[in-house]
Amino acid sequence: MNQQPEGPAVNPVQRVRIWYALLLLIFGVFAVRVFFLQVIRYDYYKRAALNDQLKQYIVPAERGIITAHLGEGTVPVVLNQKLYTLYADPTIVKHADTAAQKLQHVIGGNVDDMTQLLKTERTRYVVLGKRLTPAQSNKVLALKLAGVGTIEQDYRSYPQGTMAAQLLGFVNNDGSGEYGVEQALNGQLAGHAGQLKAVTDINGVPLAASPGNLSIAPVAGDNVGLTIDVGMQAGLEKIVQNAYNNNKSKDVSAIIMDVHTGAVKAMANYPSFDPANYQDVNDPALFQNQSVTTPIEPGSITKVFTTATSLQKGVITPLTTFYDPGSWQIDGANVSDVEEDHSTGQQSILSTLDKSLNTGATWMLMQLGGGQVNMQGRNILYDYFSNHFRLGKATGIEQGYEPDGYVPKPEDNGAGINLTYANMSFGQAYSATALQMISGFSSILNGGTYYQPRLVDQYVHADGSATAVNPKVVETNVVSKQVSDNVISLLEQNNTNHIHEGFTYLNFGPNYNVGGKTGTAEIADPNGGYDPHKVNGTYMGFVGGDTPQYAIVVYNLEPTKYVGFAGAGTSQPVFGDIAHMLINDFGVTPKR
Amino acid sequence: MNVTARPQMGRDTSSESQIRRHRPDYWLVVIALFLVAIGLTVVYAISPALSATTGGSGVHFVSRQLVAIGLSIAVFLVTARVPIAAWRQWQKPLLILAALGTVVALVMPAPPQYPQHRWIQLGGFSLQSVEILKFALIVYLAGFLAKQAAAGKLANSQETLRPLGILLLVITFVVAGPAALHGQSDLGSFGVILAMAGATAVMVGLPMRRILSAALVLSLLIVFVVAISPYRRERVTSFLHPNCASSGGYQACQALIAVGSGGISGLGLGSSVQAYGYLPEAQNDSIFAIYAEKFGFIGVMVLLSLFMALFARLRLIIERTQDMFSRLIVVAVLAWLSTQMIINVGAMVGLLPLKGITLPLVSYGGTSVLFVGAALGLVFQISHYTSFSSRNVQKSGGQRIYDEDSDDRRRKRRAYHPDSSDRA
Repeated sequence: MNQQPEGPAVNPVQRVRIWYALLLLIFGVFAVRVFFLQVIRYDYYKRAALNDQLKQYIVPAERGIITAHLGEGTVPVVLNQKLYTLYADPTIVKHADTAAQKLQHVIGGNVDDMTQLLKTERTRYVVLGKRLTPAQSNKVLALKLAGVGTIEQDYRSYPQGTMAAQLLGFVNNDGSGEYGVEQALNGQLAGHAGQLKAVTDINGVPLAASPGNLSIAPVAGDNVGLTIDVGMQAGLEKIVQNAYNNNKSKDVSAIIMDVHTGAVKAMANYPSFDPANYQDVNDPALFQNQSVTTPIEPGSITKVFTTATSLQKGVITPLTTFYDPGSWQIDGANVSDVEEDHSTGQQSILSTLDKSLNTGATWMLMQLGGGQVNMQGRNILYDYFSNHFRLGKATGIEQGYEPDGYVPKPEDNGAGINLTYANMSFGQAYSATALQMISGFSSILNGGTYYQPRLVDQYVHADGSATAVNPKVVETNVVSKQVSDNVISLLEQNNTNHIHEGFTYLNFGPNYNVGGKTGTAEIADPNGGYDPHKVNGTYMGFVGGDTPQYAIVVYNLEPTKYVGFAGAGTSQPVFGDIAHMLINDFGVTPKR
Repeated sequence: MNVTARPQMGRDTSSESQIRRHRPDYWLVVIALFLVAIGLTVVYAISPALSATTGGSGVHFVSRQLVAIGLSIAVFLVTARVPIAAWRQWQKPLLILAALGTVVALVMPAPPQYPQHRWIQLGGFSLQSVEILKFALIVYLAGFLAKQAAAGKLANSQETLRPLGILLLVITFVVAGPAALHGQSDLGSFGVILAMAGATAVMVGLPMRRILSAALVLSLLIVFVVAISPYRRERVTSFLHPNCASSGGYQACQALIAVGSGGISGLGLGSSVQAYGYLPEAQNDSIFAIYAEKFGFIGVMVLLSLFMALFARLRLIIERTQDMFSRLIVVAVLAWLSTQMIINVGAMVGLLPLKGITLPLVSYGGTSVLFVGAALGLVFQISHYTSFSSRNVQKSGGQRIYDEDSDDRRRKRRAYHPDSSDRA
């Protein structure tokens, strides 16, 4: 290489130094730029980083479970189940097609749909599947697919299947209770969510402790012990379902209450729903616990309350007789008997109940007013119905969506208030739920103490301690002991009469006292007046030995059979079945 | 090593053979090993993050990188021993081999993660063909231009510019061309190759006017390629308007967040968060940003200074190498490493659009480490034959002047040439 080349003389040292100077210049530019990014704009980028990296989580508290009695023991009726949601971050997922195929082998579903989801643009989170079992979740994680993960989620599970579904309610996707106990006791059941603030990886998995991390442990919700007896509930549900099928009703509900504590032992409605698949229910009416949520005009079972009021006010005795003219003229309208045995003549309190005489109930209302339907009588009836028997008032039971119902005020409203009250005395023109009826009825049966109806026995807290729920007395001396005994006796005699009239299924033998009253309630037409083609059949009764033990109320809504005497035709047999079940299977204390 | 102007002593050392083999430039190796160690440390530190986000094993990346570094050192030891003259004979076969490799890689299915990179599968190994091409081009460009310079044909369009132009055109089609087939191409590597060609052309003394007009044509070509490729246009757009939410701007934005959140002293070796899936290619193209997040401004200054030190060694060897072929090899290596570093770091700090190119010696990636090792081996071999001052190569083609001073004597003693100053 020592020949002389042609061309311009090149100074390579100079050129390489210029070149290196350029590199130094770029180094300087980089240094300034990095200084700008890391020192001057540090706060901005630190914030931007934390904005992405620091995630705040609500750590859900474990929801309390719900138990119920089974004989002497308790069994769970609502448990928690950990299931997994399968998600993916499409920006990380590689080979969407093969990933979708592998996932499909584990969780089923459509490969194409999953592939599409995995290719979703401009999102970092897609849900590919819900309610994966722990085994499925483990299988998915074992695939080690980049950007694919599972999140644990609590679901409610129902070891007793559909039992007591409306009473229990369900927990929605947001973790809130809806309907029933789940709604009413959401606060206790839910507990207190914990909080977690942590720097996480792109998938939201918290990294090792960093200074900004914060962790507040969740406090699990209370476990709720119900007053319900699972055996009784299951039996009641079967009876109610049969009644629904036999009578082609719109809805059949029944309640069994312990008259001495106000505890609901069973509460059933049909049709119902499957709480494990609540999302498949199209008609939200199916979620309603009709016994609590749906007040109706209860019909002639109301005469028990009218009788008790009149006995308590001393305007009648159990043996009082009176002349029934067949109809009363009140506010220019004719009040007569709608039921079968319609005649004039001498009647008694017992025959008023037995034949369900509207004229008899109206006569009692007249006695409360000193001989006619007037302000005084109305005030007394209102006072007892509303303030003492607490009809048309929400009871405060542990259930969602409990309304009041309606009892018209006694003041003269210029629209035939006397006629309204005459109707009220035999069960029309006001509305009450089955629960309100049975609670008021229980206060008569137990000697005059109104207990708040309830579904909860005890709360077991997260720390293991338990709080027992004692019967809550709302009012004592609703009626006197004597009035209580008189009403019980009248209803027992009424039952005996019914046996003699041919309803032999009401015969429970000499060891048990059983009494009750039918009701066939007309249904107010939304356009005014009453619908002539529809009635509700109701029944209110009790079973016991020396004293009543269980109160029973049956609401049979719009049966398509026995329309004229729906109480006796549709609800009385339901009562009979329930009473037989209680005596045969649940050890009603017999007479001594 | 300071190179300061010293009085010329007027010795004639016009014969190449007069520079005997002496102590090579160990600093070159030391700095390179530092950079490799930094890269390996970062890859090791983010292994948990990588295995968490990719679902792979925790030691996967580190063990693979260790194997690559081992191979790289082996290749370095080979190329560092081969006499530089031998490469003159191999320049054409090497280029043909690289061309074959590139063609083979073109017809092989591209890995879906990196559609723009062409790979050759060799059993369990895969080689990125463009890295082979870069290495082959070092030797070929140096050989061709040195031959043309020796023949005095540098200014001859027919003999020098045309073959060079045709070569670059072919490379353009091979490297940037897959855009037509696959939608994405390796424009970053293409830029590196252009820089190598440009640097060797400038340093050999090709007429500046020719170089500038070629550069003009090329820049027009690049603008055209960018304009017709939506993916590249998006990268330019996202560079001009960074936006974390857009798919094109996401990586650039996360890289800035990684760098910026590092602060002055960094989060610490084990504390990178961005590696946990936020910043794509954390171990590879984005390793600089992760490093900046871990070690902060101070760490970045150290890393960039190491690069500048490496480049300074290369510059010094260029200055002191008398043989044109050898010198052009070092020129090409410097062009390669510096351009690739600038493109990579420039993208990570938001000064350049993302190019999908590794940070030499630091990034995870076997092929890159392997061929940079091979290239440094060449330089190391050449560094045996540097003269002792830049002065004697000041005029290429002119009379070479031997320069001697006490510093040189000391160096010669170390290299066991105690009387070389008295020779000639």
